[in-house]
Amino acid sequence: MTALVRAEWLKLRTTAAPWVLAGLAAVVTALLVVVIFRTQGGTVAPSSGNGPPTFVGSGVPQTAQQLRNLAASCYECDLFALLIGVVCVTADFRHKTVTAAFLASPRRWRLIGAKLLTAALVGAALAVALLAGTLLGGGLALDAEGGSFAALARQVPAVAPGVVLVFALFAVLGVGVGSLLTNQVAAIIVSLGWFLVLEGILIALVHGAARWVPSGAAEAAADVTRGQGHLYGLFTWWQGALLLLLYGAVFAAAGSAVVARRDVT
Amino acid sequence: MNPAIEVRSLAKHFGHVRAVDDLSFDVAEGRVTGFLGPNGSGKTTTLRMLLGLVAPSSGSATFGGVPYRDLDRPLCHVGAVLEATSFHPTRRAADHLRSVAIAARLPASRVRAVLELVGLSDVARRRVGTFSLGMRQRLELATAVLGDPRVLILDEPANGLDPQGIQWLRTFIRYQASLGRAILVSSHLLSEMEETVDDVVIVSEGRLVLQTTLADLASTAGGAPGMRVRTPELARLSAVLAGYGVAARQVGVDEVVVDGATPEWLGPVLAQAQIVVYELTRQQNRLEEVFLGLTHVPPSVHGATSPSPSPSPSPSPGLTS
Repeated sequence: MTALVRAEWLKLRTTAAPWVLAGLAAVVTALLVVVIFRTQGGTVAPSSGNGPPTFVGSGVPQTAQQLRNLAASCYECDLFALLIGVVCVTADFRHKTVTAAFLASPRRWRLIGAKLLTAALVGAALAVALLAGTLLGGGLALDAEGGSFAALARQVPAVAPGVVLVFALFAVLGVGVGSLLTNQVAAIIVSLGWFLVLEGILIALVHGAARWVPSGAAEAAADVTRGQGHLYGLFTWWQGALLLLLYGAVFAAAGSAVVARRDVT
Repeated sequence: MNPAIEVRSLAKHFGHVRAVDDLSFDVAEGRVTGFLGPNGSGKTTTLRMLLGLVAPSSGSATFGGVPYRDLDRPLCHVGAVLEATSFHPTRRAADHLRSVAIAARLPASRVRAVLELVGLSDVARRRVGTFSLGMRQRLELATAVLGDPRVLILDEPANGLDPQGIQWLRTFIRYQASLGRAILVSSHLLSEMEETVDDVVIVSEGRLVLQTTLADLASTAGGAPGMRVRTPELARLSAVLAGYGVAARQVGVDEVVVDGATPEWLGPVLAQAQIVVYELTRQQNRLEEVFLGLTHVPPSVHGATSPSPSPSPSPSPGLTS
């Protein structure tokens, strides 16, 4: 299994798609850092008399929650981890390299297993890289704007495990989706369609759906709100992580079953 | 000695279509076995069933008694070339080989060795998308021998190759056989493989037509090759030959084939009878004609199997399909 994971890792890093996705995730994270600086600087002072509430403070993120939001700004990029998982499987089918992969590993579930593990590791690594980049970029910006680098660094341990966990699980979910829908374009469209459109509609229509959908499970698992998730109708972090893992496992199991039976022509 | 590959009653049905039907044959070690049949006769499906890529409807295919899926380190036992298109276009050739080597737990030195063997060392850092068809075919062959396997399975490896490429491929295959490997190579053209194979397995419409050695096929086909004569005096030629007890087979408007005749015998006969001859050539495609007769190729739609608009070759005596 180690050999197969190493081979999958080599296959991922010797093509452009995963790097493009990781690069996009970095760009989006950088933009989100800017957004947080613009919107979460300072604190809101209660209004005096009839006037509107006013912002006070230094104009940079400074409360613990604001700093946690800044440190975890890459969280929104979990979709890129999912797409890397999708590409990890579908690229093999798209370019027929799956033939070579099955010849080396004729027991197909082992190959899918190796892809799940590889994607989880790559997803986690992407999260670590984005978190590190955010700490460095956000921290230096804070320093320059009169905030505290050290204060941001102190919040990283609070959010990093959750973000890393969610990225790994999303990549696993991506492998599951990809092995079920081996057509690369279809898998990507369905993934984006679900997470960008359908999930929001479902949550709006069905009361209480938020905690059950993958994004809700991920939000619970990331636990960016430090135990306040229930206020937003979410599960606790470990319930969310378990649910997300279950989604990944169910998709991967169904995908493996489909792939194992399929004739490769 | 056990055969390297044993195929027993192998069958594959796609809906009502019997792509492969009750197919059994053996492939011996140290020999090149041609797996021959027209396009669509089930060759590729059979080879993919051998390799566990397509699940058979019934029957079995084993390597030394073991199905592909149960082989320990399969790439060290069986190497395969299936098609020249299964590469990621932006991956470098060396990286493709490294990924297979890692998955098969082979040392990195094997990658260098096989690149050297197929003459791709200089372009190993290039992306496969920039490769010509011939180079891709070589890369496929390099991938196949990465694990130093005892059995090689090659599906139409000559497809799309230029004459030099085909010559190189023949040398490569003969070299691999000289190492004691069992080689099963499919083709829709016998002539392409005539100089390369020792044994032939001929299939048509998914069924076995004949398994024999190339030498036996040649002798069954009529022993010594014949002569092809193009002449405006077909009737007189036939009469003259009949005088010697020899028959002439008409194969074209003004062409006959004299089976078993040699130029040394036929030349003086024609001279003595003072028959006008436009062309006198050795009959080269004897074997190919037998092959075509065995597999009942309908008039070619690909323009590759039947170069002249001659009537379909008559079935050879002594061979039935």
